[in-house]
Parts: sequence; C-alpha cells; structure tokens
Amino acid sequence: MNHTQEKKSMLSQGIIIFIYLAVLTGLEFFIAVSFNSVPLLVVVALVKAGLVVYYYMHIYKLNLESEKDDKSYNYKAGTNRLGLWLFLVSDSFVFGGLMVMRVNLLGLSRPELNQLLGLGVTAVLLVSSFFMNRGETMIHNGDRRGFLNNTLITFILGLGFLLGVVLVEWRIAIHEGITPDSGVAGAAFFMMTGMHAFHVFTGLILLAIIWFNGRRGLYDARNYPVEAAAVYWHFVDVVWIFFYPALYLIGTAVR
Amino acid sequence: MRRLNSVWRGLLLLAVGGMIGYGIGLGLDLLVTGALNYSGSVASAFALLVSVTAFFFGIYGYRGITRGLVWQVVGTLLGGFFVTGIRALLGSDTIFGTFFFSEPAWVFGALTGVVTFMFGVGVVADWVKWARGIDTPEHHEDEPGGGKYLDVSLDHKVIGIQYTVTALVLIAIGGTFALIFRTELAASQLQFLTTTFKLFNQTGPQFYNTIMSLHGIIMIISILLGISGIMNYAVPFLVGAHDMAFPRLNAFAYWISVPASVLLLMSLVLGGFDTGWTGYPPLSARAPVGMQMFFLGVFTAGWSSILGSLNVIATVVRMRAKGMSAMRLPIFVWASVATSIIALTATQLIGLSFQLVMFQRLFGMGFFDAAKGGNPVLFQHLFWFYSHPAVYVFVLPGLGIISELLPVFVRKPLFGYRWVAMSSLGIALVGFTVWAHHMFTSGMNEYLRVPFMYSTLLVAVPTGVKFFSWVATIWGGKITTPTPMLFVLGAIIVFLLGGLTGPPNAAIALDLHLHDTYFIVGHFHDTIFGGFIFPFFAAIYFWFPKATGRRMNEFWGKVHFWLMTPSFFVLTLGMMVIGLRGMRRRIVDYDPALGFDFTHLLMTIAGFLIALSVLIFVINLFHSIRHGEKAEGNVWNSRSPEWQVPSPMPVHNYDVPFEVVGEPYDYGLADSKYVQFNGHQGEKHPVTAEGAQH
Repeated sequence: MNHTQEKKSMLSQGIIIFIYLAVLTGLEFFIAVSFNSVPLLVVVALVKAGLVVYYYMHIYKLNLESEKDDKSYNYKAGTNRLGLWLFLVSDSFVFGGLMVMRVNLLGLSRPELNQLLGLGVTAVLLVSSFFMNRGETMIHNGDRRGFLNNTLITFILGLGFLLGVVLVEWRIAIHEGITPDSGVAGAAFFMMTGMHAFHVFTGLILLAIIWFNGRRGLYDARNYPVEAAAVYWHFVDVVWIFFYPALYLIGTAVR
Repeated sequence: MRRLNSVWRGLLLLAVGGMIGYGIGLGLDLLVTGALNYSGSVASAFALLVSVTAFFFGIYGYRGITRGLVWQVVGTLLGGFFVTGIRALLGSDTIFGTFFFSEPAWVFGALTGVVTFMFGVGVVADWVKWARGIDTPEHHEDEPGGGKYLDVSLDHKVIGIQYTVTALVLIAIGGTFALIFRTELAASQLQFLTTTFKLFNQTGPQFYNTIMSLHGIIMIISILLGISGIMNYAVPFLVGAHDMAFPRLNAFAYWISVPASVLLLMSLVLGGFDTGWTGYPPLSARAPVGMQMFFLGVFTAGWSSILGSLNVIATVVRMRAKGMSAMRLPIFVWASVATSIIALTATQLIGLSFQLVMFQRLFGMGFFDAAKGGNPVLFQHLFWFYSHPAVYVFVLPGLGIISELLPVFVRKPLFGYRWVAMSSLGIALVGFTVWAHHMFTSGMNEYLRVPFMYSTLLVAVPTGVKFFSWVATIWGGKITTPTPMLFVLGAIIVFLLGGLTGPPNAAIALDLHLHDTYFIVGHFHDTIFGGFIFPFFAAIYFWFPKATGRRMNEFWGKVHFWLMTPSFFVLTLGMMVIGLRGMRRRIVDYDPALGFDFTHLLMTIAGFLIALSVLIFVINLFHSIRHGEKAEGNVWNSRSPEWQVPSPMPVHNYDVPFEVVGEPYDYGLADSKYVQFNGHQGEKHPVTAEGAQH
C-alpha cells in the first residue's frame, strides 16, 4: 500500500468505526426502551468500549517494537505512552468504584432523567471522539490545517457536552426534584456526572493546549502530545459509554 | 559554623513565627466571635502554619520548600476567604464556623493550599512551560551541597533521600503521639488526658482519640513515603537506569506529600477527629472539621503513592540495562513492581471512599446515610479494597529488601529465586481478594464470610514461600552480622510472629472474638515492624555508604538493634496477651478490675525504649553523614551493580553502562559474574538536551 492510500485508509477507518458506534448507541437505546435487558446493554457497552480502545485509542501501540536507542524521541514517546496507559488504568478504578457505588445503592433502579437530553449529550461526546480521531490522524499525516480544524471542532463539542450536563441537565434534574441531597439516586447521579465532567474539563484544557501549540507550529515530527490528548479524550468517552446506560437506561426510573 | 547559625536562626524564627501566627489567629477569632479564646483552634492553626514556614525560612531562605509553604498558607487563606465571600454574598446563615472558616471554606482553602504549594515550590514549572510550547533541558543540574534536598531536584537519588527523611520526620511525629497516649494508658483511670483537659477545642479523651487516629494515619503515610524513598533510591540503579522514567512526575509525587502532611497535622488543631484512621461513617460524617483535613490529607498523599508507583513500573519496564531479563531482576525490583501494581490501582478507591464522605458532609449527598437510602457498609467495602492491599504495599518492599540483603551476608545464592520473585506478585494478586475479612462483624452478608476467610488464608502460601527461601538461604551459609544483617534477621523473626498471628484473625469464629481487640493491634504492629520498620532500617544502614561515601557507626547501630528488638517484643506480646483477654483497642481508659495495669505499664516503658533507640539511630545517621568512617568501595562485598562503582553514587549513576551476564545472587560460586561493565572507559553518560516532553 502506498503512502497516500494508507493515509486515506486511516481516515476512512475512523469513519467506519464511528458508524459502528453510532449504530450501537441507537441499538442500545432501542434495547433500553423496548425490552430493557441489562446483560444485553452490558454487552453493547463492552463492544463499544472495545472499538474505541482499539481503533481510536490504539492500545496496540503499546506493543510497538520501538527503537533500541533509549535516547531517541520514539523510545521516549513509547515510555510516555506506557505511563499514560498506567494512569488510565489507575483512573478507571475511580470510575469502577463509582459504578460499584451506583450498583450497590440503586440496584435496578435509576433516577428519572430527561431521556432526550441524555441521548443528545451522548451523541455530542461520541461525535467529538470522531473528530478527535480525525485530528490526530491528520497531524500524523502532516496536515496541520486539518488537525487544527478538527481539534477545534472536538473542543467545541466537548464544551457543548460539559455545558449540556452541568448547566442544562443538572438544572433540569434539580428542577424535577433530583438534588444531591434528595436521596441516593440524586447523590449517585451528581457524583458520577460530576466526576466525569471534571475529567471532561481537564480534557478540554489538554485540547486547548495542543490547539494553541499546534497553531504555533509545534508537532511536526514530535506529535506525541497530540496522541496523548487524544487518548485521554477517548478515555473520557469510554467512561461515558458505561455511565450513560448506568444512569439513563438500565432498570426502572425512580424519583 | 554557618550551618549552626542557620539552625539557630530557624529555631528563633520558629518561636517568633509561632507567636505572630498565634496573634493573627487570636485576632481573627476575636473579630468573628467577639471573645478572646486563648486555647482555641484558630490561633493554634495559624501558629502552626506560620511557625513551620518561618522555621524553614530561617534555615534556608525563601526558596524551594519555604516558598511552597508560604504559598500554601496564602493559598489556604485565599481559598478560604473566596468561599467565605461567596457564602456572604449568597446570604448564607453560617459565614464563619467554629474554627473561623466554615467547613466548605476550609475544604476549598485546603485544596487551594495544596495546589499553590505545588506551584510555589516550583515542581510544576516545567510542565507549565511545555504547555506553553517552550522546551526545557531534560535535566536540571543540582547545586552541590545540602541545599538541593530542600529544593526541587529531578535526581532520583535526591528524591529518594527526600522521601526517606520526610518519612523519618513523620515517624518521629507519629511516634510522639504514640508516646503521649501510651503514657495515658500506663495506668487505668484518666491521668492527664482528663475531661477538664482542654487543647485545640478538645477535651482529654477527645484529644486521645485524635492523636490515636493521627498516630495510625501518620505512620501509614510515613510507611508509604519510606517505601517510596527506598524504591526511588534503589530501583533505577538496580536496573541500570540513569534516572526514573519520568523525573518530573517523580519530583511531583514527592512534593505533594509535603502539603499532605501539613493537612494531616492541621486536622489536629481543627477540632481533631475521633474515628480512628479508618474514618468509618456515620461517625466520620459528623466529626469536627479536622475530619475533612484528614480526608484531604490522605487523598493528597494517595496521589504521591499512585504517581510514584506509576513511575516505578514504567522505569522497570522501559529502562532496564542490556541483558536484564525478567528472571535476572533483583528481587527488590520484583517486590517494588508488585507493590506498585497495588498502589497504582487500589489507592484510587480509598481516595474515592473519602471523597464520598467529604461530599456527604458538604452537600448532604446520602451515600452512607441510611436515612437517605445510603449504605454505611459500602464505605467499608470501598475503603478496605485499598486499605487491606495497602498492608501488602507496606510489607512487600521490605520483604524484598530481606531477600535482597540476605545472600550478601550469608555468602550463598538466594534459594528459589523464581519462586520468591513470583511470590511477591502472588501476594499482590491474592491481596486484592481478601478485603472483606475486616468486616466479619460489620453486618455484611453472611455468605461473604467464608470465601473471604479462605482467600485470606491463601495469603499465607506465597508468604510461606518467602520464609522457606530465607531459611534455606541462611542454611549452611557463612553468616556475618553487621548492623544491616541484624535488622534483616530481626525482620524475619518479627515478621514470622506477625505472620503466625494472621491466620487466627482470618478464621471467622476466632475473629468474632478477636475483632477490635489489642490482639489485632499486636498482630499488625508485628507485620509492619517485620515487613517495613526493620527492613527499612536495614536498607538505610546498607545503602547509607552508597549515598554518602561513609558508614554509619556500627556500635551505635548495634545498640539501636539490641535496644529496639526486645522492647518491641515486650510491646507487641503484651498487646496480644491482654488482647486475648479482652482489652479493646482505641479506647482511652480501661477497667482496673481487668488487671491489665501492669502489662500496660510494661508496654509504655517498652514504647519509650523503642523511641530512645530510634533517637540513637537518628543521631547516628546525622552524625555519620559528616563524621562516619570513610567507605567508598564495595563495603559489603556485594555483586549488585551499584557497588561496583565508587560511592557516593555519581549523578547519573553509571558513567559506563553495564550488561547483565549472569544470575544476580550466585554468591560463593567461582567465576560467576552478575554484571559486566563494558564500553569505553571514561565516556560520560551522554546527557542530551532532547527532552521526553513531546
């Protein structure tokens, strides 16, 4: 395969994976409203997460045989990649713990939330992951303008998600009587979305950093920071892939 | 002479700063409450913050740690006033609380204080530059002399020593607390911590609860810092790396433990807390503000542990010398990896469980509030999911040190290298499945008890492997007993006692009787002394010549050992005996009719003797830095690579890289070599300006 073809195939791979994810999300919603099977929802979430982890976060890069010269940029990028993944493993224990908390306290009930808004913010975050993948692929291919545009779109969508959750969703929930101190359903909802929103916020900071630095001409050959920000951004998406069904879909709604 | 002057200046400023801080606090308190409260918490809190800062200022000037502390004080105040201002604007009823700031203001202020400390000390400066797209050199050379230990350094050896010294300071503080409450316990009835006693807004028994709880948590943090110290110091040169994988993250992980320690101490003066170090709700949901400082302190210190262990794993995976395959790694490195796997993952859950209680207190979120449908037992699950594996975090590096040093002093190969290496991983992995054995009496589902009993008993298997290896290694060896070896042997015996008293606690039927008694206290003091304290001292005596080029005094080292060990046995055996007979743990007083007075008196005397022995150690340590016997070569006749180069260790460890050509512990075998230094003599390890930052 020649170079141009390879570049194109990476971009089209991103599109195909995004279509898979979108279809699966629709399927998830359909399962939830029609026959609400928890095992099926878990399976769909695991498949979605697997797709993102492999195709968007490129977990296989951990296995890349890097150069023997441990002073080279690539070797150090490999070390940094391992460090980032170790951090993500550590961080996933926080979210795992929140999940345990949710299952223990709520079981097969969930707070009664605005379904349309939930699906909306989920879609926004998913689309942002798609653009993030495009941006990352483009800087690898040397297309700076494309990288900057796609990163900016990702940032805007991410900001949309954050504001959608914190300003709209929370406000509606409080209006409906689901407050942090109203009961465990409210407590679990605000704790889980709050912790996730904090990670979205830090992801946005990283996106802003790579965007500004990219505009100043960094990341020609040394573009590991873009990869790191992208992997972190996708990780935040993976967390939401599990939190969305946990908060909006499984079980029956309680007030 | 200049050094002496600076210490006096520090002490002078400590006194002056304390008085100024006390005055400020008194004034602020007067402003809010309208009454002069001389023994109040606010005055003490300010006295503590300002005097500690002033002390370092006097010694060191406005650099490094001092700048961090000043920024922390300012950050805490700014954060506190920020929230207070918002509350005033919102027209809240309680703008100020019992402890000057209201609780949310203290929490936010404490968090801001930690962040500003990190900026003040300058450990995030390079990251800020990278975020702005500015390159920095990969290494910043340290200035010669002692100043580098009080400032940000990226050298893993400096950071290791910083960790170790901080751990010793915390051990001293935690030990002082122990001496205070042991004195109270020396006889039944309340002697000086009486109900009329008043300090930091606490009565005597409350104060007892606070220092008992703080003794626990400060010792735990000191252990975490102590193992980080030894791992940071030794792991890179044991695997042949020039530094850790992420030097800046390493510095960050150390420095964040300093504001964390300050927060823990602040909990003492902000009303304290009476939950023990476990902080179970519902009690912790209504303890004074000190509880929040405790939660935040542990949370912050947890980040030190998480980031440090991330670094260790990355270093071992990516930076090994040529030929150092998995089965040729030093055992201590295996133990460090095993410990790091636990610390990296499980630590998040103690942080989360504490956060949940913090939010329950701040926003009324009902996670553990049964009235709102919450579940207090959930806290215990989340908490022990870290806090039980945490004890393996504490002991695994120590057990690694035992296996590492034993062959050196018996001049024989380590018995069963592969089994010992894998036993560390085994303990770590089994350790993840045992947490609920702390909850046999907590009202969790009864069907959970038996599986957790068996998984707990299973831990004894890999631990037993280690014991067989040690005994078989000693068997028929040419034993010499310099101080490090004494501590290794002491560790084996003490840890055996701790290990043998473990299974009785794991058995449900016995645990129902032993739960929350002094038997448990005796058991874990044995495991921690055997698994951490003794090996920690052994490691310090062993690697001290590597760090300084001098030896610690042998005579005083032996005095330290022979004073500490018997006293320690009196202490823990006493604990176990009265524990079996029904002495409850964590209580300020006991019934004289139980007849425990004499044992308690003995234990108190033993406690003071241990403190004396540690004091001897500390004096020996600091005296030997300048006046110890010169020891620049391979003092212990070790095969390990770090002893093949002169002491003190060069800045970037090995000027000539080495290659591993044999087994690590083949002592006494003719013609066997572990490492071989090849390459061109005199070639400096090249230090490039090429950073790892992009």
